Amino acid sequence: MKYFELGLREAVDLVRSGQITAAEILESYLVHIESADREIKAYLTLAFDRAMNRARKIDGRKEKGRLAGAVVAIKDNIVTRGLRTTCGSRILENFVPPYDATVVERLEAEDAIIIGKTNMDEFAMGSSTENSAYFPTRNPWDLERVPGGSSGGSAAAVAGFEAMAALGSDTGGSVRQPAAFCGIVGLKPTYGRVSRYGLVAFASSLDQIGPLARSVEDCALLTSVISGFDRRDSTCADRPVPDYLADLGSFQDRIRVGFLKETSLRGINPEVAASYRRVQQMVTALGFEVVSMDFPSWEVALPCYYIIAPSEASSNLARYDGVRYGFRAEAAELADMYIRTRTAGFGSEVKRRILLGTFALSSGYYEAYYARAARARQAITAELRAAFERVDFILTPTTPEPAFKLGEKQDPIAMYLQDYFTVAASLAGIPGISIPCGLTPDGLPLGLQVLSPPFAENRLFKFAFLLENNIKFKNNMNGINTRGRRKNEN
Amino acid sequence: MKVDLEHLSRLANLELTEEERKLLPGQMEKIIDWVGRLSSLATEEEEKYTQVDFTLRLEDDEVHPSLPQAEVLAMAPDKQGDFVKVPRVFREK
Repeated sequence: MKYFELGLREAVDLVRSGQITAAEILESYLVHIESADREIKAYLTLAFDRAMNRARKIDGRKEKGRLAGAVVAIKDNIVTRGLRTTCGSRILENFVPPYDATVVERLEAEDAIIIGKTNMDEFAMGSSTENSAYFPTRNPWDLERVPGGSSGGSAAAVAGFEAMAALGSDTGGSVRQPAAFCGIVGLKPTYGRVSRYGLVAFASSLDQIGPLARSVEDCALLTSVISGFDRRDSTCADRPVPDYLADLGSFQDRIRVGFLKETSLRGINPEVAASYRRVQQMVTALGFEVVSMDFPSWEVALPCYYIIAPSEASSNLARYDGVRYGFRAEAAELADMYIRTRTAGFGSEVKRRILLGTFALSSGYYEAYYARAARARQAITAELRAAFERVDFILTPTTPEPAFKLGEKQDPIAMYLQDYFTVAASLAGIPGISIPCGLTPDGLPLGLQVLSPPFAENRLFKFAFLLENNIKFKNNMNGINTRGRRKNEN
Repeated sequence: MKVDLEHLSRLANLELTEEERKLLPGQMEKIIDWVGRLSSLATEEEEKYTQVDFTLRLEDDEVHPSLPQAEVLAMAPDKQGDFVKVPRVFREK
């Protein structure tokens, strides 16, 4: 086995016990990424030298952290001191942050090695990574298809063995959907579980940073490290962080599991529906009680999300004015400079969302759009919370279809429909994890979403771990490189 | 619903490119009609404000070091001495 094929936990165990060095692991990544990323294009910025310096320091120290030797990629909307952070946008093309995000500090304090910054839809707005101002990322399972988004670079890097794990951010499904498309595990934690200090703000009442990895265990370990109170984010919860890894194991108690009724699956891809039903049979066979559920408010969850998120974005993105950092377009007067900077710096989807949010908050429309959406959000939240009085977990497909082809979705609304199963958890602030649950006959991964009540990540990981062990999904994308080349030769 | 894109882009400090001027009006109308489906949900009694599942803790009233001025200034596209420099604010008569 080559070192880049190691899982995160395996690698950490080997480095901590002195059987291999972090530098040896990195050497192996250097060679693999050099060839694999030519096809996948997961990274916007690679930081080999920085990573190698850190690896040597870690190797030279006797005491090693909980993530010693872990090679981790970071989505490019999470700031890294001295390492360019573009947010997938031209407006931050040359932005080199003067500080680290809290999650980056916490990873490095446990001796994780940051290998690079991953591609994304500009300002995390999109579901395919095609909205990156730089280039699209490709899905390691099929290079003609998208990796999902907006954390598409992070998901593709992990799936293609270009990192052991990655951080992404999830506002309406941006960790879970790409995890599903790329056949890996991705968690959106409870709102407030992880500090957002140093995460470039998109929609502050929804944004959460979450890990992507090739196993539930690796995801649980990363979540233990990045979670917890941070005085620099006032929306971060002051609650103890359990050892999520130690809590994995079998359930002693009775578990009730909610599944969606047929009517809630109308219009979704038949392969997705079939795989979902197979999971339901498996859960029944495992001896768990299955409860049939439907969520009438989900019919309006997407419109609700697509008012609230753009409204918050239109306000958050007002800061990009060319004054203090980032791109500035020249103009003789200040007011013109603002307009020219923003016009040249933002891509079309970002402009569309800023305008949509501006509309929803504007005089004469605020009550009918923003205020109504804010109330709908409460109704959606109440319905989900009530459901958790009847069941311990709710299972849904993560996405309505498997990965689609690049350029396939030209209509903005068709792209927005990607978030159908993921936005409700975002609006309600509850955690959701996507785990791989099978392949289509064409060999494309499918994702299963598991939802739990807030701050129940320990139980969520435990249940996801059990499902993972029974589904036995195998990622063989360490061979992506040859497969990709073969494809291109055809 | 028809929207006044000129007005909205003025509010948002944006200008539209030629291509966006062609595409955006139709797209925005469709999107606004689509999000308008929300009106089918009766939500009159609901609160407008989001609740979180924990107590928000304000930062303690203590002094912490802030970012070094030189590093922050180094990010500015234009500067003069210790100040960020911008084009003139007022138009000449």
